[in-house]
Amino acid sequence: MSRTYEFVDHTADIAVELSGSSLNELFAAGAEAWLVSIAGEIKIEDDDLLELELSASSKEELLVTFLNELNYLLITKKWLCSSIQSIKIFDDADGCELSAELKGIKLKDNLQLKQEIKSVTYHQLEIIEKDSNYSTLVVFDI
Amino acid sequence: MNVGGIELIKVRENLWEIPAIGQMRVPGRIYISQDMIEKGMKDDEALKQVVNVAHLPGIEKYSLAMPDIHWGYGFPIGGVAATNLDDGVISPGGVGYDINCGVRLATTNIEYEHIKNRIDDLVSKLFQAVPTGVGASGAIKKLSTNDLKKVLTKGSVWALENDLGTPSDIEFTEESGTLKNADTEVVSKRAFERGADQVGTLGSGNHFLEIDVVEEIFDAKVAEVFGLFHGQIVIQIHTGSRGLGYQVCDDYLKVLLQASNKYGFKLPDKQLACAPIKSQEGQDYLAAMQAAANFAWNNRQVIMHLAKKVFQDTFAMTESELGFKLLYDVCHNIAKIEKHKIGKEEKEVCVHRKGATRAFPPGSKMIPAKYQGVGQPVLIPGDMGRYSYILVGTEKAMEETFGSSCHGAGRNLSRTKALKSAKGRDLVGELKKKGIVIQAKGYKTIAEEMSDAYKDVSEVVDVMHKEGITRKVAKIRPVGVIKG
Repeated sequence: MSRTYEFVDHTADIAVELSGSSLNELFAAGAEAWLVSIAGEIKIEDDDLLELELSASSKEELLVTFLNELNYLLITKKWLCSSIQSIKIFDDADGCELSAELKGIKLKDNLQLKQEIKSVTYHQLEIIEKDSNYSTLVVFDI
Repeated sequence: MNVGGIELIKVRENLWEIPAIGQMRVPGRIYISQDMIEKGMKDDEALKQVVNVAHLPGIEKYSLAMPDIHWGYGFPIGGVAATNLDDGVISPGGVGYDINCGVRLATTNIEYEHIKNRIDDLVSKLFQAVPTGVGASGAIKKLSTNDLKKVLTKGSVWALENDLGTPSDIEFTEESGTLKNADTEVVSKRAFERGADQVGTLGSGNHFLEIDVVEEIFDAKVAEVFGLFHGQIVIQIHTGSRGLGYQVCDDYLKVLLQASNKYGFKLPDKQLACAPIKSQEGQDYLAAMQAAANFAWNNRQVIMHLAKKVFQDTFAMTESELGFKLLYDVCHNIAKIEKHKIGKEEKEVCVHRKGATRAFPPGSKMIPAKYQGVGQPVLIPGDMGRYSYILVGTEKAMEETFGSSCHGAGRNLSRTKALKSAKGRDLVGELKKKGIVIQAKGYKTIAEEMSDAYKDVSEVVDVMHKEGITRKVAKIRPVGVIKG
């Protein structure tokens, strides 16, 4: 099992290449890239666990829904997802589902985040499966 | 000229056409100089996005782009497209996440020479009064769902009713600060949650509050009508609908992705997801987008009111002594139903302006009576280290660009490159030497937003001026800047 993310130059926003040995790993790589984008390379003592169930009509839409969910939890619930305890993606003809356990912390007012992500976009998003590897570019609107 | 595989044919000195090929329904047209194409368009996806927009069902005349064109999602930033109401579509990709992101500019009676030693103090107090930065909140008390519904329905009229504005503020706001068909029933609970404590907040990124001084007047007659004079202190506010708008866009991208499939649209980019304007999905998005636009107008109104109070307190002046007047408030991320001439007849169309500003001419019934003789003010922010412009709308804009002009400088460097370029430099000190005081939540924002990261806005407004789409009225330069 492996996953990577690599930021690529984008004039106005943040673009990142995600890669994973499975869809599960690809989504986890997306969560890591999201965290680094908003908080930098920080170590967080996470002590909260949150279960998440999501569904969408395609795996691309599910990835956007998942990363936007992390954004929603952060902005409105002040809950920062710092790592993925477990994640499973189910993809079949009827649509896609995600089941995950997220680790994170309730933010205190003094934690300064470095970046606001307005939203995760669909622009150029296409999950490609090749040689047992999944990859896609994803753009965050900031 | 061929740019990245896209053929550009020169129409005029600063106007280029992409011929309609393949599934494009109309040609593309870009207002830009050859020099700007060579300097900034070669490695950019933006021209391809002009082509993509030309695929939208019901698009009229051209897929247009202004000279501040750069890579966006769905539409390029600086993109303008009008779709007909019979079989045309509406797309959140032509509006953006920050619905009704826009600019307002207020004038004062104060001359810079009289207060130049007070700018530090003024900037500190403004920074205290207006929450900035990531997820900024708490400018005014958190609104109940009922109050927020009123904001979404009434726009900046809500501020007026809550002693946070004057009737004149409403008169000098595009659409008088309210789009009438907003419907809170089609705005999600999540959008309400994200907006509840963000009224009166700037946010982060390129949003700002600036104290500027009028440096140069190009058109004395129009400047007089606008109430501008050399050496005058003015205030610029650039922000939008904050988290509420982002959430509305998110929510409806999902709905319209489904709708695109349902109506059988083959689109080159998912971010161009759309629905027929007449369909339920299209009408729901339009009504939710209008609600978010109303939030944004109210947001800029509340921020301006907070700023006005800081000015009054700092200089111990009454409102009339201060002479704080809203010149105009314009939005540059929106879709609006407007009447335009298509061929020989005037038709109602849905004008998408994604990083483009409305620029209506003299005589337009859509602009305040005071500006009927000259045209509407068009506010074009530059970058925090150089200058911004005040322009005026023309009849030619109505003929060629659905009454639209540019919206800003456009980025030149990515944020990563800007951060690299800022390493080892004292940007705050550099600005100080130029007579600009800045306060921001973090140094990172200052680095990302530095002058070098932006194109020279004067090149952008000059293209529009030479092509007669908007004319230059005044140039202003910053002396105090507040950033997220």
